[in-house]
Amino acid sequence: MSNRKIKEKGIESLLFASGAVTVVALLLLCIFLFRDGYLLFDNYPVSSFLTDTKWYPTADPEHFGLLPLFLGSVIVTIGAVLFSVPLGIATAIYISELANPKIANILKPVTEILAGIPSVVYGFFGLVVLVPFVQNTLKLPTGQTALTGSIMLGIMALPTIISMSEDAISSVPRALKEGSLALGSTKWQTIYKVTAPAALSGISAAVMLGIGRAIGETMTVMMVTGNSAVIPGFPSGLFAPVRTMTATIALEMGEVPQGSDHFHALFAIGSVLFITTFIINIVANYIKRRYRFNL
Amino acid sequence: MPEAYENGTEIEVKDLNLWYGDNHALHDISIDIPKNSVTAFIGPSGCGKSTFLRCLNRMNDLIPSCRIEGRVNINGEDIYSKETDVVDLRKRVGMVFQKPNPFPMSIFDNISYGPRIHGMSKKEMPAIVENALKSGALWKEVSDRLNVSALDLSGGQQQRLCIARTLAVKPEVILFDEPCSALDPISTSKIEDVILELKKKYTIVIVTHNMQQAARISDHTAFFLMGDLVEFDKTAQIFESPQEKATEDYITGRFG
Repeated sequence: MSNRKIKEKGIESLLFASGAVTVVALLLLCIFLFRDGYLLFDNYPVSSFLTDTKWYPTADPEHFGLLPLFLGSVIVTIGAVLFSVPLGIATAIYISELANPKIANILKPVTEILAGIPSVVYGFFGLVVLVPFVQNTLKLPTGQTALTGSIMLGIMALPTIISMSEDAISSVPRALKEGSLALGSTKWQTIYKVTAPAALSGISAAVMLGIGRAIGETMTVMMVTGNSAVIPGFPSGLFAPVRTMTATIALEMGEVPQGSDHFHALFAIGSVLFITTFIINIVANYIKRRYRFNL
Repeated sequence: MPEAYENGTEIEVKDLNLWYGDNHALHDISIDIPKNSVTAFIGPSGCGKSTFLRCLNRMNDLIPSCRIEGRVNINGEDIYSKETDVVDLRKRVGMVFQKPNPFPMSIFDNISYGPRIHGMSKKEMPAIVENALKSGALWKEVSDRLNVSALDLSGGQQQRLCIARTLAVKPEVILFDEPCSALDPISTSKIEDVILELKKKYTIVIVTHNMQQAARISDHTAFFLMGDLVEFDKTAQIFESPQEKATEDYITGRFG
């Protein structure tokens, strides 16, 4: 083999190896996570894990009920979505279709800077500003509620949703918008009936990624939601403290003896979290592909 | 300028000037466009013919740096007056673009889009869609698959769909902005047939790069050069004995 060919092969293998490392790392992570989670069920029945309504990991007997934590994550995430999706899409439409270019050129980078703020800073802001605000305005016993977490997570998901939806909306061909306007539709009819549907796959992907970010977020929710592991009602649970799956792992992992049931229970929760985000990603991809096909 | 038109005048333009920022793109354009006939705008790239066409349905409003002075009357109404409703104007003056731009929806929905936003009921749609597709000479090819995505059609079919879509809102004038430049000769000839058929009911203005096309389908031809309307006359006159040297040079292929 010539020198050149060896070099070519070498570079090729190097790039292949880099790709392989990612896949192997992910696989190892999965195996590790699921194995340690699964070990819980040697001593504790799966059915109890899934249906027990109590999370009392240090009581006697122990209760490792997933439900309060799972529903805690769900209620905080739903709140965040209700808050951030309409706001995010509206902002994206404003930036790409309505704002005068000067304003758009300020707004876009500013929303992207929001994404770069560390989550602990958001948490701190939430704790100092939003928690007292929620407590005083709604006359609640504590401001550390699911609602507070939802608002903070919503703010944190906004940059993702805005920036990705904006990209999707601006990439709708100009010809399509002109075609609609030329038929005598108003600016708004064009946005609502042509531009937004044509950008739907990108917008859905943006929303899904926003949700993914909200579910996986740990530090901020831990700081503002009060962390009490009770099953939240809906919608009353929004105004009470909750504890999410992520916060539970972060709070308790430092204190459990390695290899104990409690330790494995936290891994089991981690597995549930992983599966949830995995499903969300699959759904996002499915939507994306489905609409691309129709287009 | 040609003598009085047998069907009357549809569009009267008087001293129209247009600027893109500091760039003075159209100079003192005055032209009377006849009713129920085909008027072609020819000229080299960048001469302002498409820009002028887009003045007639105020599509240039979408460009922030664009400024227009002068008068454009369509059917006696000044379309740049403050009272003019642009949405209503564009309903009366339809436009077919250079590249086919069907919406990413079904054939049926593409046609019904216009009538629906103008408030017509769902019940009327099947008849409207059928009529529009028939006038666009597309009905026979798609009548059995109206629910298929418009993007599955060929380029030529897509362009005829866009024509049908424009017809569905019942305009008075239809502007064609180089409608065949992205199409093969067979599709082009189909579209030319459609245009010739349409002039019985509509006033047609077409921008084209293709001089044979202008000669084949238009009754009057305007020659634009560098933002000026150089010459406007009956098509036969323009192609057989142009009055201006520049027109002659262009149509004989000395530049372009």
